[in-house]
Amino acid sequence: MFSEIAALIVLLPVLAFILTLFLGKRLYSGGALLPIAAIAGSFIISLGVFFEIYPDKTVQQSWPWFAGMNLGILIDPLAIVMLLMVTFVSLLIHIYAVGYMAHDPAKPRYFAETSLFTAAMLGVVLSDNILQFFIAWELVGLCSYLLIGFWYFKPSAAAAAKKAFLVTRVGDVLFLAGIILLYFNISDVISSRAFSLDQGNFILQFRSMFEAAKFIDPSQLTLITLLFFGGAVGKSGQFPLHGWLPDAMEGPTTVSALIHAATMVTAGVYLVARTFPMFAATPVTIAPELHIPDSLLIVAIIGGFTALFAATMGLVMNDIKRVLAYSTVSQLGYMMLALGTAGAIVGAKAVGISLFHLISHAFFKALLFLCAGSVIHAMGTNDIREMGGLSRKMKITATTMLIAALALAGIGIPYLNIGTAGFFSKDAIIEGTFELGMETGGWGWIFYGFAIVAALLTSIYIFRLWFMTFTGTPRSERHPHESPNVMTRPLIILAIFALLFGFMQSGFYLYLEKNFELMGVEIASHESEEALVLPPIVVLMPVIVGVVGFLISYYIYHLKKLNMSRFVSSGNPLYRLLINRYYEPRISADIIGVKLTHNIAAQSGEFVDRKIIDTLIIDNAISNTLFRLGELVRKLQTGVVQNYASVTLLGIFLLVVLLKLTGGI
Amino acid sequence: MSDLYSYLLVAAIVFTIGAYGIITQRSGIKILMSIELMLNAANINLVAFSSFNGDTAGQVFALFSIAIAAAEAAIGFAILVVLFRVRDTINLDNINILRW
Repeated sequence: MFSEIAALIVLLPVLAFILTLFLGKRLYSGGALLPIAAIAGSFIISLGVFFEIYPDKTVQQSWPWFAGMNLGILIDPLAIVMLLMVTFVSLLIHIYAVGYMAHDPAKPRYFAETSLFTAAMLGVVLSDNILQFFIAWELVGLCSYLLIGFWYFKPSAAAAAKKAFLVTRVGDVLFLAGIILLYFNISDVISSRAFSLDQGNFILQFRSMFEAAKFIDPSQLTLITLLFFGGAVGKSGQFPLHGWLPDAMEGPTTVSALIHAATMVTAGVYLVARTFPMFAATPVTIAPELHIPDSLLIVAIIGGFTALFAATMGLVMNDIKRVLAYSTVSQLGYMMLALGTAGAIVGAKAVGISLFHLISHAFFKALLFLCAGSVIHAMGTNDIREMGGLSRKMKITATTMLIAALALAGIGIPYLNIGTAGFFSKDAIIEGTFELGMETGGWGWIFYGFAIVAALLTSIYIFRLWFMTFTGTPRSERHPHESPNVMTRPLIILAIFALLFGFMQSGFYLYLEKNFELMGVEIASHESEEALVLPPIVVLMPVIVGVVGFLISYYIYHLKKLNMSRFVSSGNPLYRLLINRYYEPRISADIIGVKLTHNIAAQSGEFVDRKIIDTLIIDNAISNTLFRLGELVRKLQTGVVQNYASVTLLGIFLLVVLLKLTGGI
Repeated sequence: MSDLYSYLLVAAIVFTIGAYGIITQRSGIKILMSIELMLNAANINLVAFSSFNGDTAGQVFALFSIAIAAAEAAIGFAILVVLFRVRDTINLDNINILRW
């Protein structure tokens, strides 16, 4: 029953977008109820679909579009867990926003745009073909631009919006190039009769892509998947296109929560997970001893490096939202790492491992952002140096944020299997990298190194944030107060999920493992037959680094036993490097933007124009002739309508006469 | 057969009147009215041929054309109203700043 109306999942928020945009001003709270109702509807439909298709059915509806392509929806295990997460988290964020945005005059625009944002993300998740996926993906990019620049009168917000749009655009162009290349390759294998589309299948459907992938030239396949990954790098803020995500904090905090948890950055991971069979089908040439297909190796390297790289910057940021932003970049790196490394060993299970972290991350990261929003709402500043001692004034926020921090740091009790969501999801990833190291040795260990060091840094920066915000003495004269119920209730709900979601782990893996089998795609697994018994130190390691990170932060930022002023000063080159974010903004703006693009392109253009074209033809002959011609012709434009009409009629008359003479009519 | 010719003749006459109006008149309203005449001449042709060929597509098309003509007239008159407020005239001879 719900499966037939599955298209409504995406159409309801679109409808809410239109209604809120035009009618929002006259409705209660800027029309916030419309998107809330619509997204709640989407959530209920998703839930209904889930119960109908669980455990081994899919929903597939396709309508022909043009040139062998189609529009359609596909709900398989991968899509339904994303649908549930996106609608649920987005719903809570929308409810929270009623309180958070209460004093903003532009509420209708806000709620319309977030509704469209959610709809676009749902469109990405629901797509059954890569073209529609790309269209929704672009819509997500547009909405992020609109929402990051929501306070467009602030120059920094306008700049951040532009940066987000342009940087993700780099990825989008790569992604589009990948789609075009894929299209030509599939057309090739179809025309060479190596492969033919089944009845009712369309050329760019995921199903057809996976079937055709076997026949595509392997080097082409590597190129296609890497181009796809380029798109994912842009959208998910992976190195080197990570710079836009921290800047995107200029938007309202609720928008940051949406971008970071539910609606945007996860799209990149979802893209790789969605096209995972193609990644897994690429040949092993770069590192034969690691047994990782080329594209997955690149995914793993970029992901692992980003996880560590972003975590180092999270250590020194003073803006509460920036710390969280780097944390997101880092955690997305983990998800990519999981896809890359685990993909080599456990095959299709990697998607489950990555998606599990994606969803548990969505819960606790949305919670972290909403808590940060609650703090900002109370304090009126983003700077954690001006906070402190808030736990007495804001008990609910402090507690829920502590839960989120524990989840992010992956605190739990191994062997008893009790812990926060992050404990289960992150552990699986780190253990996956360990298994890879065990199997291959040598360079294979580098991923484990990335993962474990990043986990330590994660724990340090998130507890630094918590201690600096909530404990100690207030460092500025303000009068914070706990947020209203409409804001704290979503925090509590999310906190429950951040605490308990981990217990769904084994069921989740089982459910997602079947995802590609349902499409008839087999992904080879290289898992050794006998179950690998992990040594206790490995099982304990993620928790140990989590606790060590907690203790370090406790020691430095709560007990204040260590004087940090020697480290935190502009005299320290390492600190300078980190606080300036590895000079990434300067590199992208000054070197790539001004020096490369502007100076070289503009100056060479000027050189060609002035020095070659103008002087080669003697004394500006071309331009002078054109000027004189223009002087003559412009007299025809008299500005009198009647003249134009007469000339038009005359022209038609002449045309008819000409046609008559030449025998045209 | 002769039926069709008489319709076409009417259409041609209406069209010519419209064309004449556009060229000779100065008032914006009169020009818009002349444009409507020309459009309707085309509609007469459409309906005449449609009836002659026994194909309803032409009549449907004429309906579309009427709807679009209505929209166009609404915009045209709206522009004239605004113009009148700004320039105190709708004499198109005086509204000729968009030229060389």
